Formats: sequence, structure tokens, C-alpha cells
Amino acid sequence: MKLESRHWTFFGLAVVVVIAMLSGFQPEITVSPDTLRMHEYIESLPEGSKLIISFDHEASSLPEIRPLAVALLRHAFSKNLRLIGIALLSEGTGVGYGLMQQVAAEYSKEYGVDYVYLGFKPQYIAAILSMGQSIPATFPEDYVGQPVDQLPLMTGVETYDDLAGVISVADGSLTTHWIEYGGGQYGVRVSAFGTAAMVTTYDPYLNSDQMYAMVGGLRGAAEYEKLIEIGGSGARGMLAQTCSHLYVILLIVIGNVLYFVSRRKGRSS
Amino acid sequence: MDISTLVAGILTLAIFTFLYRDNPIYKMAESLLIGVSIGYFLVITWTNSLMDLLFNPLFRDGRLALVIPLVLGLMMFGRFHKRTSALSRIPIAVLIGSGAGVAIPAMLGARTLAQMSATVSPLVTEGGGLNISSIVILLGVLCTLSYFYFSREHRGVLGQSAKAGTWFLMVFFGTTFGYTVMSRMSTFIGRVEFLLSDFLRLAN
Repeated sequence: MKLESRHWTFFGLAVVVVIAMLSGFQPEITVSPDTLRMHEYIESLPEGSKLIISFDHEASSLPEIRPLAVALLRHAFSKNLRLIGIALLSEGTGVGYGLMQQVAAEYSKEYGVDYVYLGFKPQYIAAILSMGQSIPATFPEDYVGQPVDQLPLMTGVETYDDLAGVISVADGSLTTHWIEYGGGQYGVRVSAFGTAAMVTTYDPYLNSDQMYAMVGGLRGAAEYEKLIEIGGSGARGMLAQTCSHLYVILLIVIGNVLYFVSRRKGRSS
Repeated sequence: MDISTLVAGILTLAIFTFLYRDNPIYKMAESLLIGVSIGYFLVITWTNSLMDLLFNPLFRDGRLALVIPLVLGLMMFGRFHKRTSALSRIPIAVLIGSGAGVAIPAMLGARTLAQMSATVSPLVTEGGGLNISSIVILLGVLCTLSYFYFSREHRGVLGQSAKAGTWFLMVFFGTTFGYTVMSRMSTFIGRVEFLLSDFLRLAN
């Protein structure tokens, strides 16, 4: 087994993360204005308000998406909001259903009354536009094959006008389609819980008020968990996140120092 | 430990073996991921799309108008043979035409007009102070646009502005890359948490 420098880099990162996770220490978290705005938005909704939670992500981003989605669902269920789960990416379908069932069980919520899961629709732009005309026509049956008109929660839900808003739980740019088509053409209020990689993509929409609120990445999940006062994977992962970032910064500094030293040596020789 | 946790744990470790080098265990896990993803996508598409939106409404409920998308869809398969390949141009033309018709006004509104409107915001706050965020955004937009203005040589004021534009771009790329690193770290931390708590049961 021949070990190269990259192997030691990966090994070092693994050691840093494992030690940080095993220590169980959770650093103090300061809540950012964006996360606070999302929390205030959910808090401001009257009991019984209906929200679409759209699971617009792939299975591969589950480690980052899960803490975000669980924090959102816990807050929404604790506020007695009525949730309509959908998925516009096929891999998010099963994940979203599982997460909704898991958190609904924590709060003793009843399927069909407190939450429903309508499943996946392909061609996300067509699906978003179609829901603007008729949600029951777009999703005639729920994920498990039950006709939507037999679900009590869906009574009176025809278009976006009958909802308090849409929250996209996303790992890609699908939220921007919600903004462009759902928000732009039908005026539905769009918010997002997204992976950290998407924060800079969503920021311009947040700045222009096209998106109402956004929570981003594991840090955003940790901040949200602090606001709802329920610990979760976000808070547990914050020390590991901090340590891994310090490790990367250290490597960048060492790499640059070695580069300049070798360049100076090259010039003098 | 339930079987799903055991399988997930073993497959996570199998994927991590790539960090040493490409190997058959990693290949097996990767192929499994691709196969399962495609299979899952096919089943979901069949049940939630073809059955729900086409076959059931057409053959069970008798909505005859759905014959049109069915025929258009079948024409796409014309590509598999030289003599019938021209047939696929019709559904492709419908797709492109309707897609462009839907996308152009939406994009123009959301990505251009609304963003321009957000850029043109008051540079002075109600209290009389400078609105630093608005000033930075305005400068950033103007400098970056000047960098992409290629009809004149980048000299003098235009050169300075274009140079400042490259700095704004670098800051954006750096921020985006930083967030991407953070995102990948979060994914890794999530898997380590799963391995330590659910798979190895070393942490709560």
C-alpha cells in the first residue's frame, strides 16, 4: 500500500471530523438574520395555514438536507400548520415521504388531515405552472394512490391562492424555478431551505424580495434548531464543521508557505 | 441493527475506499447507486407520470384530448430508425416552441427586470446615511458589466472599471467556492455521524 500526500490529507480530515463528533461538544451558535426571518415567517402563520413543502433534491445530498428538512417540519408541525409534501426531483420523493412520516409521528399528526404527500411530478416547470391552474388536476392521487379529493386536508385547495406559501427544500437550482414560475407568474410566496452550495445562487433573489426567506446549509440547520429549541444533526455537526474548516484553512496556509519557500529556493539556485 | 442500516453503512464505507484509489469495491457501490437510481426513476415516472397523467385519464376516464400528447410521445421513438427519424422533429419542435414561449417572459421578468429593479435602490438611507449595501451592489454591477464590454479596448476609466469588475468576480467565485466546500464538508459530516451513531453506535 503506497500512501501519497492526498491520502494523508483525507486521513487528517477524517480524524478531525471523527474526534469533533465524538467529543459531543456543541459550540455557541449566533443566528443569522436570514434564518431569523424564516423562523418569524413560520411563526407568523396562523394555525391551520396550508404550506407546500417541495422536496427538490437528490438522495446524495441527504446528509445536508436532512437536518434542514427535519428542523423545518418540526417547527411547522409544532405550529399546527397543514403541510402538503411534493417532490419535483424523483430521488427526493421517497426521502420526503419518509421524513414527513417520521416527524409527523413525533407530533402525533394524522395523515390526510394534518399532512399529505402528493409525490413526484416530472418536468418541474410544467408541474409548477400546472399547479398554478389546478393542484388536484396536477396531482389527482397522492403518493400512495389515494384520490386527492378524498383527503380532508385538500378540501378547498385548488391553486396557490389557497396556500400560505411554498417552501422548497433543495440542493440545486430548482428553487429558482419556483421563484420564476410560481412566484413570478402566480404570486405565491417562495422560501427555501437549501444546501450551502446554493446560497450564492439564491442570494440575489432574496435581495430583490423575489424569495421571502432562506436557510442555508448545516449552519442554517443548527441556527434553526436553536430557534425552535430542539437539538438535531445541525447543532451536533457544528463543531465538526468548524474544525474541518480550520483544517482546510491550515492546509491552504501550509501549501502557500511551501510554494513561496520552494519558489524562493528555485530563484536563489 | 436493522438490515437497511447495515447495507447503508457498508456502502458508505465502500464509496469511501475511492479516497485511496479506484477499486472494484468502489465500482460495485457506484454501479449499484446508478442502477438503483435509474430503476427508481423509471418506476416513479411510470406510476406518477405515465399512469397518472396519461394512461388512466385517457383509457379509464375517456379524456380523448390526451391522444395528442400520446401520439407526440410515440413520434419521439421515430429516432430509433433512419426512415422514421424525421417524425421526431415534430414533438421536438413543439417542446422547443412551447418551452421558449413559457421561459422567455418568465426569465425576462425574474432574472432581468426584477434584478435590475433591485440594483436601482436608494443609495441614501432614510436617516440620511449612506446605504453601503446598495452602493456596493451598484458598483459591482457596473464594474462587472464593464469587464464584459468588449467593443472598446480596456484602457483608462474603462480599464480601471473592468479591473475592479474582475475583483468583484473573484470575490463572488471565492464565496461560491467557500460555500461549496462547506456543503461538501456537511455531506461528509452527515455520513460520519451516521457511521458513528447508527452503524457503529459509538456516539448518540
